[in-house]
Amino acid sequence: MDRQDEESQADRYLSYWQRAEADLANLRRRNEQERAELARFANVTLIGKVLPVLDDFERALAAIPEEVGSSGWVEGVRIIEKKLKGILESEGVTPIEALGREFDPHAHQAVMQDDGDGDSDVVVEEYQKGYKLHDRVIRPTMVKVGRGNPASDKKRKEK
Amino acid sequence: MVAVMEGGEPVVIPNSEGGRLTPSVVAISKTGERLVGQVAKRQAVTNPENTIFSIKRFMGRKFSDPIVEKDTKLVPYKLSAAPNGDLRVHMGDRAYSPAEISAMILQKLKADAEAYLGDKVVDAVITVPAYFNDSQRQATKDAGTIAGLNVLRIINEPTAASLAYGMDKNKDETIAVYDLGGGTFDISILQLGEGVFEVKSTNGDTHLGGDDFDQRVIDWLADEFKRENGIDLRQDRMALQRLKEAAEKAKVELSSTMSTEINLPFITADATGPKHLTITLTRSKLEQLTGELIERTIGPVRQALSDAGVTAEQVDEVILVGGQTRMPAVQEAVKKPFVKEPHKGVNPDEVVAIGAAIQAGVLKGEVRDVLLLDVTPLSLGIETLGGVFTKLIERNTTIPTSKSQIFSTAADSQPSVEIHVLQGERPMASENKTLGRFILDGIPPAPRGLPQVEVTFDIDANGILNVSAKDKATGKEQRITIQASSGLSKEEIDKMVREAEVHAADDQRKKEEAEARNMGDTAAYQAEKTLRDLDGKYPAELKSEIEGKIAAVRSALQGTDAEGIRGATDELNQSMQKLGQHVYSQPGGETPPEGEQPGGPQGGKGPDEGSVEGEFREV
Repeated sequence: MDRQDEESQADRYLSYWQRAEADLANLRRRNEQERAELARFANVTLIGKVLPVLDDFERALAAIPEEVGSSGWVEGVRIIEKKLKGILESEGVTPIEALGREFDPHAHQAVMQDDGDGDSDVVVEEYQKGYKLHDRVIRPTMVKVGRGNPASDKKRKEK
Repeated sequence: MVAVMEGGEPVVIPNSEGGRLTPSVVAISKTGERLVGQVAKRQAVTNPENTIFSIKRFMGRKFSDPIVEKDTKLVPYKLSAAPNGDLRVHMGDRAYSPAEISAMILQKLKADAEAYLGDKVVDAVITVPAYFNDSQRQATKDAGTIAGLNVLRIINEPTAASLAYGMDKNKDETIAVYDLGGGTFDISILQLGEGVFEVKSTNGDTHLGGDDFDQRVIDWLADEFKRENGIDLRQDRMALQRLKEAAEKAKVELSSTMSTEINLPFITADATGPKHLTITLTRSKLEQLTGELIERTIGPVRQALSDAGVTAEQVDEVILVGGQTRMPAVQEAVKKPFVKEPHKGVNPDEVVAIGAAIQAGVLKGEVRDVLLLDVTPLSLGIETLGGVFTKLIERNTTIPTSKSQIFSTAADSQPSVEIHVLQGERPMASENKTLGRFILDGIPPAPRGLPQVEVTFDIDANGILNVSAKDKATGKEQRITIQASSGLSKEEIDKMVREAEVHAADDQRKKEEAEARNMGDTAAYQAEKTLRDLDGKYPAELKSEIEGKIAAVRSALQGTDAEGIRGATDELNQSMQKLGQHVYSQPGGETPPEGEQPGGPQGGKGPDEGSVEGEFREV
């Protein structure tokens, strides 16, 4: 190999080395970030699996038959629900407030539009509660959004 | 989906919401905000005319194209013709070319990738279906350019999948790529010749995918429920949503289990009260429900083979792409005509992106395979106090690499240390292979544990091991060079690893005994020293109590009962703590470090641990 070949090979080696160093530096940095992220969101999958159970509890308590309404047994189930909510809360899970608010696709999922004259772009009904874990939406609220009509829109704007 | 080559490996990059897949949906909200991806999808129902999806169907087409005429009825957004006949899509108050819409999606992917990588993204490889014509490919390239990307190449999806499996390294052969995704089915027959992939034929069904499989399950659930309760859940929006999620979940589970339970309490209610759906779905029932869908893929496969002029048996490799191919029944159905196991090791949802990343890497000259790196097949280390093998370099560490650790002497005034270099996986040095020995002398007299000898293991890219020992006080150093070949052969390595597993329990016991011994010995030594140093500062009864405990430890050390040694050591440590409390008579005072050290942490690499047969210990 002559001098020029050697120099260009050396250059190539240098650039591979630089690339490798850069890759390593980037990998380290990202590793740190991911590790922190993972720690915060370590339980997100499990929480996601538990949310439907919370939903079912709420459904159950929303459908209490009249004749057992004030029974101790119902009270007990209520306490269980509260306990589950407490655990989720302590993990950083918060429910998303959607009803009556302006529809926000970052936090809500529109499954239907209102046929009536609900205010346009306002959430008129919640079908399924949405939740955040820390600051991240882990399940959007399933909502019905008002279609609005000119009359009520105008009235709302005038307020 | 976006993937990049990092350190020679393809890596899928998550988007800003943390997902690996970004839905191809773009929208202009009522407030004029542009939304891309999952966010756009969520507001589709409230804003159908301004939410664009499935733009892929319209790429590179003219308004007069019959497909456009057909699909225009299926989409709620408006399509029109530009003056030159090109297709225009209406969103908000503007008309866009399909390429511009695609560019918006690419822009989001680009921005998310840049955020994740912490670096600008300029060059990209974009994949397209194998059946895309020139004008469709050009439109895709334009989309990339509009998004600010330098499109290195447009490659076919089945080709990308082949690259992901490293097929470009094979000899000339015929490859079939079976792609069953969420909404479409594509079969491609490729011919690989001298590293170049040629598409011989394509076929498929643009309205057949995983979603249809879900629908079969949803229908079955609704029908079963109706049969039992007389209520049609399909009429209830929320119930339908729950059915959909449950169906998808069940389908996925049945790829790895034989049956799964679907539980949807309070799914609905009627005059008699709340109703629940609980039912078991077996794999065989699922296969029954969806068998016809799988059958529908066989026709196109046969057609594609015929068009390519090959028989199924002549196909050399079969690749599976798309989440739905995880289903065992699908894999069976693919195996039958081709008479061979399809390749499915790479995540079928990601294989195309991964292949594109590999292609991008090749185009950018990331010729990583010029620099093949080896790993050391077995752990390397030295012998320390008690005949224990102390690892410095773990097996399967990529080389070249270098690792240092500080060790010390085992006896007072020890003048030299012997470095016994070993290779293997057993915890006791005698069970491993000796690679070499050497001695470092000239260590100035000092109490044991004080001198600092830095031992460094350095392996270069050729596998040559250099071991050095340096006395940090005097700077004196000795080293030894061990050739790469002087270790164990492959068979011996495998045998070694197996034996380590078989003898694990036994070895562990031996190691613990050695450690207990070390700790006991150190505890006794330290205790004696402390008694001498602090003589007069504590009551005489305590002195005799401690001396008794020291004697107990020393006598336990004569035997081989690890438990006994540990017990005696604990006793001694407790007495030493009392001494400490005496000497530091502040309330809650800390025990002096010297008294505590020997009793230190259990097992593992606690301080003050081993020393070599040549009296050499780890600090």
